[in-house]
Amino acid sequence: MIALNHIYKYVNQGGTRVFLLRDISLNIAQGEFISIMGPSGSGKTTLLNVMGMLDEADEGEYLFLDQPVKALKEKQRSALYKQHIGFVFQAYHLIDELTVYENIETPLLYKDYKSSERSAMVCEMLDKFNMVAKKDLFPHQLSGGQQQLVGIARAIVSKPTLLLADEPTGNLNSQQGQEIMELFKKLNSEGLTIIQVTHSEKNAAYGSRIINLSDGRIEN
Amino acid sequence: MIGNNFKIAVRQLLKNKLFSFINIIGLSLGLAVCIVVALFVQREYSVDAMHTRNIYRLDEVQKFEGMVAPQKVALSMFPMGPGLQSDFPEVLNYTRVIQSEKMPLGYKAKKIIVPSFMWVDSTFFRMFDFPLLKGNPQTVLNGSGDAVISESMAKKVFGNEDPIGRMVSWYGGDSTEFIVRGIMKDVPETSHLQMDMVASIPREVKADYAGSWGGNWLVTYLELSDKANTGKLEAQFPAFLKKHLDERAAKQYELFLQPLKDVHSNSTDITHDYVNYQKFDKSNTYAFIIIALIVLGIACMNFVNLSTARSLSRAKEVGIRKTIGAARLQLAQQFIQESLLFTAIAMLLALLIAGLFLPYLNTLSGYRISYAALFKPLPLCLLFLGTILVGLVSGAYPAFYLSSFRPSKVLKGSLKTGKHKSFGRNVLVVSQFAGANVLIIATVFVIRQLNFMQTTNPHFNKDQVIAIKCRENSGRKYMELKHEFLKSPDIAYVTGSFQRLGNNLHQTGIRFKGLGEERSVAISHIRVDRDFLKLYDIKVKAGRDFRESDHRQGFLINETMAKEILKDTPEAPIEKLLGTPFGYEGQQKLGTIVGITEDFNFNSFHHQVEGLTISYADSMPFTEVSVKVAGNKVQEALTFMQSSWKTLVPDVAFEYTFLDEDFANLYKADAQLSKIVGILSGIAVAIAALGLFGLATYATEKRVKEIGVRKVFGASAHSIALLLNRDFLKPVLLASLIAWPIAWMILRTWLTNFAFRIELNVWVFLATALLASLIALVTVSARSLRAAWANPVSSLRTE
Ligand SMILES: Nc1ncnc2c1ncn2[C@@H]1O[C@H](COP(=O)(O)OP(=O)(O)O)[C@@H](O)[C@H]1O
Ligand SMILES: [Mg+2]
Repeated sequence: MIALNHIYKYVNQGGTRVFLLRDISLNIAQGEFISIMGPSGSGKTTLLNVMGMLDEADEGEYLFLDQPVKALKEKQRSALYKQHIGFVFQAYHLIDELTVYENIETPLLYKDYKSSERSAMVCEMLDKFNMVAKKDLFPHQLSGGQQQLVGIARAIVSKPTLLLADEPTGNLNSQQGQEIMELFKKLNSEGLTIIQVTHSEKNAAYGSRIINLSDGRIEN
Repeated sequence: MIGNNFKIAVRQLLKNKLFSFINIIGLSLGLAVCIVVALFVQREYSVDAMHTRNIYRLDEVQKFEGMVAPQKVALSMFPMGPGLQSDFPEVLNYTRVIQSEKMPLGYKAKKIIVPSFMWVDSTFFRMFDFPLLKGNPQTVLNGSGDAVISESMAKKVFGNEDPIGRMVSWYGGDSTEFIVRGIMKDVPETSHLQMDMVASIPREVKADYAGSWGGNWLVTYLELSDKANTGKLEAQFPAFLKKHLDERAAKQYELFLQPLKDVHSNSTDITHDYVNYQKFDKSNTYAFIIIALIVLGIACMNFVNLSTARSLSRAKEVGIRKTIGAARLQLAQQFIQESLLFTAIAMLLALLIAGLFLPYLNTLSGYRISYAALFKPLPLCLLFLGTILVGLVSGAYPAFYLSSFRPSKVLKGSLKTGKHKSFGRNVLVVSQFAGANVLIIATVFVIRQLNFMQTTNPHFNKDQVIAIKCRENSGRKYMELKHEFLKSPDIAYVTGSFQRLGNNLHQTGIRFKGLGEERSVAISHIRVDRDFLKLYDIKVKAGRDFRESDHRQGFLINETMAKEILKDTPEAPIEKLLGTPFGYEGQQKLGTIVGITEDFNFNSFHHQVEGLTISYADSMPFTEVSVKVAGNKVQEALTFMQSSWKTLVPDVAFEYTFLDEDFANLYKADAQLSKIVGILSGIAVAIAALGLFGLATYATEKRVKEIGVRKVFGASAHSIALLLNRDFLKPVLLASLIAWPIAWMILRTWLTNFAFRIELNVWVFLATALLASLIALVTVSARSLRAAWANPVSSLRTE
């Protein structure tokens, strides 16, 4: 599904080139559950953003579903993104002004689902995550674990094939974290490809493969 | 999507109260100003719009020898209309208008004053489309003395009787009689011709004046064929004048054609323009349009500035939305919708504000602009389009800017609102304050000029003077009236004259000898009673005031006239002119100059003092009586005069005004302008200041941590306030620098309307810069001081 070949990413700082990613080559197949680990600042978020097409690599080749991402037109890339990728963040990043229901519904708006379809899909998610009673609450009225559930519901409501999660449990206690991991495992078993960044060995173990990152390089 | 965006827009609006408040208040004031001005402009353009024919007013430029400046007048000569029609095929029709205000009319036992009566030619209703309720416009005035009366005047005169065919007479004058042949609808306010009754010029009058070239005392309108070329026609006028006037007279006149639609709006430089109701210069109308757009522009800039300044709080939302699939265009659409919502709310509020302000504007202008006129399909459509336009104009850049954020940047919280962004914002702040500054400076000078004209010494005394209008029969009783009035202890002087001060006095041909060859000139002239100078406290510079023996023989002239006479020997003292021959052009034996008065401003300060001849002759009836009240018992004096008037001329109404009010009326248009410009610049400044307050709020919010750190390291509160204020003072000061030359150029042009004008003092410019800085300082300090005084620990902890 994902093929990274000799990916480099860098920024120029005061005349010197600082590498964020160096020579990353990686293949990820459909249905995998990958955990990326590494010290803070090692480039995990950068790598996730590149794979999620939020950022572009400066060198190297990136194939997503066998399509060369760099060569795609903006329109094609965003269509590919919309159809296949969902994001989950450590800080949840819900929209404060929207209710739980509306937060989950928003991606569907951008993907041009009809209103009847939308309500069916959102309700399915609310049901699946046991949040029907909370659908009219605003994010600040929820606990961290609940907010992250909404974040995940929002990421998968439009049935993406790839879920990218950047330290999804970083702000949660271990019990809440465990619930999220169980959820990921279940979603993975239903066929969703998941790539998560985590600092916890225990959470990393839920994945089928662990990739260690250090100073922008993959260690083996 | 649209419904969803709308919901979010409403929540954003409610959440960011300061932002919403500033923008909605600003936009609604700006829009309200535009609505009111649009109504005003619409009203201006509707003046005389009901007439469909190709009509021009015939005007003259008079360049009489001896005049300080040539003058354009709305007057023409009696035989000109017929002459032009017979000489030029493209002149299809003409009508003359001779207005007679407050015409006394008698019907059976009733006596009624007709506020505005006009003698016209039989073509009047064929040329002008004043609708007739009864009578055929083609023929209604065909007979000598045939009359048309307005609907409401007909009710007053005839009650329920049918007026058609009834006879009314000119009460008090000679025994002229009119037969009512038609009824016209009351003339709307939007017509420069205002009349309650018109009558066909009598046959005898036409016969008497048919060859009267030289006298200018009426207004002529011409109807031209549709393909007439006015330039070509005007080019033939000098030859036309030569044909009918003697060579010397022909040189003193130029004729020009003024399109009907210009009569109301482009006649400010035309004097003796008596048949022109509420004339208003179109350059003032343009000024209002520009100022209204400036005010609205300042409000729109607030929206742009504040939207981008608080982008930090929207950046995260943009990032999130993009990661869940939003395209940039969709986000831009969302932001545009937000600005449309703001504008729509502001528009509703603006309609309310405009409705509250309109009565005030009507009082100020004397117009009757109707608020209800807004709620018709076309204006509503325009309001709708206006809302969308303003929403797009103010929302486009913020939408473009906000939707550009990259999620990988903003979600990390590393969004940098770089220097160049606040540069763009500063450009807008500079424009806003430059606009506001120009308006403040303009207001100050317009008010100063108005004050100057109202307080500068006109070199005669018009205080406590009551001016009484005399008709033929009351004028004949002048001597008795004067004698009676003077019995009152509250009346100091009574004098008569043939014109009233405060006008462009009519010119008369004058012949004199001076120190060289005998010459003739045409010069302003006023015929007065012997004690005129005493009543008005006009100083005699050389020679003496009138004596009994000067009757028809002795003349007074003003200094300007004296200089005109002495123009070939400027070194000669004016005293040399005393005793030299002087008189009317047609006089057999000339009289002499007995005195030379100081120049006094008998006309408004818009005009230079023209040469003036004052003659003493009480043998013909006066049309004006001036009464000087002794002390300040004005009411007692009035009561006394009214009772004497009743016994001496019981049939004629006692019409009076206070002369200083007459003079104040000369500056009415200037006073209106100063009020409107003043109000609008006040609004502009308020909106700009509100915007600055908003910017200061966001700027200090953003720097809360920096302020905390500085305080921990020992910075004092006032040094921090200074730091924050400095950023805002710079653009405001720069705005002043930009505003100065613009304001200077505008005002210099405007002041050319006044012969007597103020200087453009530098200190006013400096003071407005100071004022603008002060306003900025106070607004910004309201925020920065709070931040500077705040406990640093709490602001650092929140990080
Ligand atoms: N746009 C950028 N400019 C400069 N440095 C950056 C930029 N983005 C990330 N970095 C740096 O690159 C490194 C890797 O960042 P990141 O991928 O966020 O690490 P991680 O997620 O593993 O903690 C960090 O040291 C970060 O400071
Ligand atoms: Mg990270």
